[in-house]
Amino acid sequence: MAASILSIGKSGLYAAQLGLATTGHNIANANVPGYSRQLVIQSSAPAQDLGFGFLGSGTEVAQIQRYSDEFLNAQVRTAQASKSSLDSFEAQISQVDDLMSDTASGLSPALQDFFKGVQDVASNPASSASRQALLSTADSLAARFQAMNGRLQEVRDGVNTEITTSVTLINSYAGQIADLNDKIAGFSDRLNSSPNDLLDQRDQLVAELNKLVKATVVAGDKNSVTVSIGKGYPLVVGKKAFELAATRSPTDLTRVEIGYQTSDRITVLAEDALSGGQLGGLLQFRSETLDRVQNSLGRIAIGLAYQFNAQHRLGQDNNGELGGEFFKQADAYVGASINNSTASTAAISAVVADPNALSQSDYSLNFDGTNYVLTRQSDKHQTIITTPQSGPQRVDGIDITVAGAAVTGDAFVIRPTIQGASQFAVTLSDRNKIAAAAPITTSAPLSNTGSGTIDAGAVNSAYVGNQLAAPITLSFDAATNSFSGFPPAATIVVTNSAGTSTTYPAGTAQVPFTAGAKVSFAGIDIKLDGQPENGDSFTIAPNAAGVGDNRNMRLLGDLQTKNVLDNGSATFQGAYAEMTSYVGNKTREVQVNAKAAASLYEQASNSQQSVSGVNLDEEAANLLRYQQAYQAAGKVMQIASTLFDALLSIGAR
Amino acid sequence: MLRVSTRTVYETGTTQLSSLQAQIARTQQQLSTNRRILSPSDDPIASARALEVTQSQSINTQYATNRQNARTSLSQVELALQGTTSLIQDVQTLAVNAGNGSLTQADRESIATELEGRLQDLLGLANTSDGAGSYLFSGFKSTTQPFTLTATGAQYHGDQGQRELQVGSSRKVPISDSGSSVFESNPTGNGYFETAPNAGNAARGGSGIISSGTVADATLLTGHNYAINFAVANGSTTYTVTDTTTGLPVTAAPVAFQEGQQITFDGLAFDIKGQPADGDQFTIAPSQRQSVFTTLTNLLGALRTPATGAAGVAQLTNSLKSASDNLNNSLDNVLSVRASIGSRLKEMDYLDSTGDDLNIQYASTLSQLQDLDTVAAISEFSQQQFTLEAAQKSFKTLTGLSLFNFIG
Repeated sequence: MAASILSIGKSGLYAAQLGLATTGHNIANANVPGYSRQLVIQSSAPAQDLGFGFLGSGTEVAQIQRYSDEFLNAQVRTAQASKSSLDSFEAQISQVDDLMSDTASGLSPALQDFFKGVQDVASNPASSASRQALLSTADSLAARFQAMNGRLQEVRDGVNTEITTSVTLINSYAGQIADLNDKIAGFSDRLNSSPNDLLDQRDQLVAELNKLVKATVVAGDKNSVTVSIGKGYPLVVGKKAFELAATRSPTDLTRVEIGYQTSDRITVLAEDALSGGQLGGLLQFRSETLDRVQNSLGRIAIGLAYQFNAQHRLGQDNNGELGGEFFKQADAYVGASINNSTASTAAISAVVADPNALSQSDYSLNFDGTNYVLTRQSDKHQTIITTPQSGPQRVDGIDITVAGAAVTGDAFVIRPTIQGASQFAVTLSDRNKIAAAAPITTSAPLSNTGSGTIDAGAVNSAYVGNQLAAPITLSFDAATNSFSGFPPAATIVVTNSAGTSTTYPAGTAQVPFTAGAKVSFAGIDIKLDGQPENGDSFTIAPNAAGVGDNRNMRLLGDLQTKNVLDNGSATFQGAYAEMTSYVGNKTREVQVNAKAAASLYEQASNSQQSVSGVNLDEEAANLLRYQQAYQAAGKVMQIASTLFDALLSIGAR
Repeated sequence: MLRVSTRTVYETGTTQLSSLQAQIARTQQQLSTNRRILSPSDDPIASARALEVTQSQSINTQYATNRQNARTSLSQVELALQGTTSLIQDVQTLAVNAGNGSLTQADRESIATELEGRLQDLLGLANTSDGAGSYLFSGFKSTTQPFTLTATGAQYHGDQGQRELQVGSSRKVPISDSGSSVFESNPTGNGYFETAPNAGNAARGGSGIISSGTVADATLLTGHNYAINFAVANGSTTYTVTDTTTGLPVTAAPVAFQEGQQITFDGLAFDIKGQPADGDQFTIAPSQRQSVFTTLTNLLGALRTPATGAAGVAQLTNSLKSASDNLNNSLDNVLSVRASIGSRLKEMDYLDSTGDDLNIQYASTLSQLQDLDTVAAISEFSQQQFTLEAAQKSFKTLTGLSLFNFIG
């Protein structure tokens, strides 16, 4: 009987010891990330049938339970993936936000200084100092474009590096999870006992992976887990881990993308395939914000270069020649996929022909066997490029030319504005070549007797290549109320003040006079007004030695306030403001979402911790409980011993 | 009851403390920069608007600079024209003096010498430069000297260009006037027609002096040339008027001449004094434009031609009358250019005051968009400080609570 009491006491003592050890394990691991608290589950040992009843035979340890709730874990993972994604998006976009924040360092002051330089030359067209100052402000403007673009490029390089690092980490986590799957599977035949700490380790690895890219966990057989990432791409299945690789985009070698590594080939995943997690945030930032911002900046640069050059070419420099190129206008980037068929001879070219119509998006061009399909990335709008072409097809201000024979599946990318800011430069270096003057002058001889007047005149793009070689004299004939003397080869268009135009074919000898009407011919626009008398004449002549003429400079200055971007709805500064507002809004949106995600994560994590986390007070109580159990069991054994002693002492008497 | 794990207590505590610290740091940054918007994300709409207002403000400032430049140019032109005005007035006085009947030819020679000096002065004024090597009156050809003297007056080398500057969002003003419009486009005669004696009248001994005439009826004006031919026969002087443009006679028959009587036809009215000789002729032509230099050169020529006898005096008087008419017209023209410059300068003052108003408006808009409400920010800062201190204190107390403090 005493032996039975002793063994009951021993079982209690043993159970209390295990309880103390487990409590100690909990206390020791209280700060280990991913640790789930454990508890010794005791049950009474099988009873002994004594006929009159069942006698207990002490206690036994049924299992060491791990407090973990897979449902709560999944909630934490979901919240964590969206939090990490937004956190990394926010970290990246705030760099761009900061770039725009400083009013002294943004594009705006450089742009305004440049136009101040233009106005200064308009005030003092003959002054070398003013002309030199204009070149300097143009240089600073170019430098500012370069610097802003350079900063964006740094951010882009940073994104590339982070993608590469993330992929390395993901592969490492995938390998470790597969290993743990293997180890855990080895214990899967054991009932009522699970390798608690291995499970914790695996859950923790999944959590770390999930911070990088959204991971979805499905329970597999033998206690293993199947982990898929992003939009359901498998990463770990049982003890097999798939390998990801960071690779160059097939159409743009400066862009790092992610693909599956299979024996000798990398299959590139679409940019939106890997959403969630830090990597998802990076990819989303790059395609939604960085590309857009760099394109916006490039579009301003291209628009400015194009418009300024176009007007500058209509002016006349100090050497009496028509103005040349002032700024270098960037080329559109066209990339052919390296995976295109070797049999393909397709050659694509894209030229920005109308900056006003440019979007801020990139385009992909795919050959589907019959047609080239151009897809605008921002809204996936598709345009068919019809072949064979008789000339370039203009889409969104870009002239696209396709040549050669494509093979089904050939892919190209067209990025019209991405290089806009990086290639923006001042090509004019000689201050005397600044075309401040208009190439023509008009005059009325003193011998005119009527009140007829001619305005200063202007030229349009048709004037280039069609320059006046010698003065043209228009003479008025009162009998027919008409002017003669127009160049014989020129078509003459007369537009009256109501806007109605009449076209006179080349060679018309007598062009009827309408007071106040605009007369256009050979790229020249003049306005004749008043009432000329018979024999009165007006002369339109090349502007010789007109160094004090500022007419073209004023027109160049007017570009500052002209709506020449975004289909005639934005000035250069307006487009920059739009870009700033876009970045600001996006940053704010991301910040707000990140805050929401953080609080969601905190809630999920608190719920999960309330199940799995260690509470030291609770453990202190458990220590006391198991200590008392141990002491009580010891007392039982002591009493058993005393009983035994009593028995022995009977025999000794 | 929700279990709270010890880790949660610490993690939540530190997260909250760092978020409070971030908030207070932000308010401090706002206070130290006096900017409400530290980066566009703080207020994207205001940031974009601020950029647009900054450009408007910058352009407005640029217009003010342009107005200053325009004012400088116009003042230089005005100064030169002020000189020209008094010079022409001087010459007018000289011309009047020269008509004094008591003067001898030697006196007129000395007046001519003085007039020569005036001509050089006028050339100097017309060739005024702005001090930076640009001529004021050469149109667009600012580095070309506008006028050089010739035997008959002066040659203009500039063009008719007029430089303009943008001085307001929708206002350009001309900041120069070409030499051609200032010095050369002066109408001759009375502004409608010009009367002149035939060059041979003096040799024939005719002493007829023709007046400048007036327009009697503007509706009848033809703009034609006329000749008045005199014939003296049997002591009676008659004249006929011919329209030389059409070749048709205006008077049906010779008209008896009466000295000083008004002659009127085709809306013209003038008279002829003195005694025209047989064969004398007077011409009437529509006004033309004449350079003031030509007027002065012609006057010099008239003064240097000896005036002997009634015929010579009549010739001088005719020439002086024509010079005086033309000088008047030149003066009118210069004065009208000056009036236009004056009104441009006045307009600039007006634009300045609206520009200043706009500037204040832009500055206040920018301030509303970007600047910090300091009082509110300081109050917010104190509140955040209070919250942070409370959080720190309570965190310390909470984490100090442990059962382990009471056992063992």
